[in-house]
Amino acid sequence: MLRITTAVTAIVLAGGAAFAHHGWGSYDAAKPVTVAGPIVTSKYENPHATVTVRSDGKVWTVTLAPTSRMSTRGASAQVIAVGKSISAYGYPSTATPDEMRAERITIDGKTYEMR
Amino acid sequence: MTGEAPAIFVALEQSNLGATIRQSPWLFPVANVGHILSLAVFAGALAVMDIRLLGGLAATSPAHVLMRARGIAIAAFVMLAATGFLLFTAEASHLILNPVFQIKLVLIGLGLLNLALFEFGVKRSVVDLSPGVAMPASAKTAGLMSLAIWLVVAACGRTIAYF
Repeated sequence: MLRITTAVTAIVLAGGAAFAHHGWGSYDAAKPVTVAGPIVTSKYENPHATVTVRSDGKVWTVTLAPTSRMSTRGASAQVIAVGKSISAYGYPSTATPDEMRAERITIDGKTYEMR
Repeated sequence: MTGEAPAIFVALEQSNLGATIRQSPWLFPVANVGHILSLAVFAGALAVMDIRLLGGLAATSPAHVLMRARGIAIAAFVMLAATGFLLFTAEASHLILNPVFQIKLVLIGLGLLNLALFEFGVKRSVVDLSPGVAMPASAKTAGLMSLAIWLVVAACGRTIAYF
C-alpha cells in the first residue's frame, strides 16, 4: 500500500510542476517576421492584449502580453492606441493565418519587450 | 473562429461580465491563480479519498477518512467551478471550439458520474468497514477511476493553450 501511496503522490506532484504559465506552442520561432504599420484596432485585454496592424496590404493580428505586464513596462493602452505606428518583431502562427505573437514592439521610437 | 461558435457562447463572451474580466487588470490573473490553487486543494483531498478506497491509509477507517476529506473536496470543487467559469467567460467562443476543452468537459462529466455511482452505490459497502479491512474490488475501481479521470482533467486544463 505504501507503494501505491508513493506512486500516487509522485503523479500528483508531477502534475503540480506543470502548473507554470504556458509556453507558446503554435508559433514558428524559426521564421521571425516584422510587421510594421498603423494600428487598426487595439484591445487592452486579458489574457493577452492584441492589436491589428495594416502591413504590406494585409491586416495582421499581433498578440501581445498580459495587460499587467504591458503596463509595468510602460506599454499602456494609450501607447498601443489605434492610429499609432507600430513595428512588431515576432513569430507567425502556424494555426491562424496573418497572426503573430510579438517578442517586442517599437512605438514612437521606444521598444517594449513582451516576454 | 468566433463566427462558428454557438450563439450562446458568443453572447457570453461579449457580455458585460466577459468584458469586465478581460479589461480588469486583476480579475483574470486572480481567477487563473485561484483555479490552480483550488485544483491543488481538490487534488489533495481527492487523492486522500482515492488512496483510502485503493486500500492505502488503512490504519484509519474508510468512513473517517472519507468524511474528513469530503468537505474540503466539495469546497475546492465549487471554487474550481467558479474560477473556471470566469476564465471560460473571457474567451467562451474560442474555448467551446477547442478540442482539448471539449475533452475536458466530457471527462468532468465522467468524473461526476463516477462520483455519483460511488455515492449512491459502492459507498454503502465501505462506510461500515473497520480500519485494516481489505477494500472491496468495486471500491478500488471507483478510486482508481476517480484518480485517473481527475488527473487527466487537470492535464487537459493545462493543455488547452496549445490547441
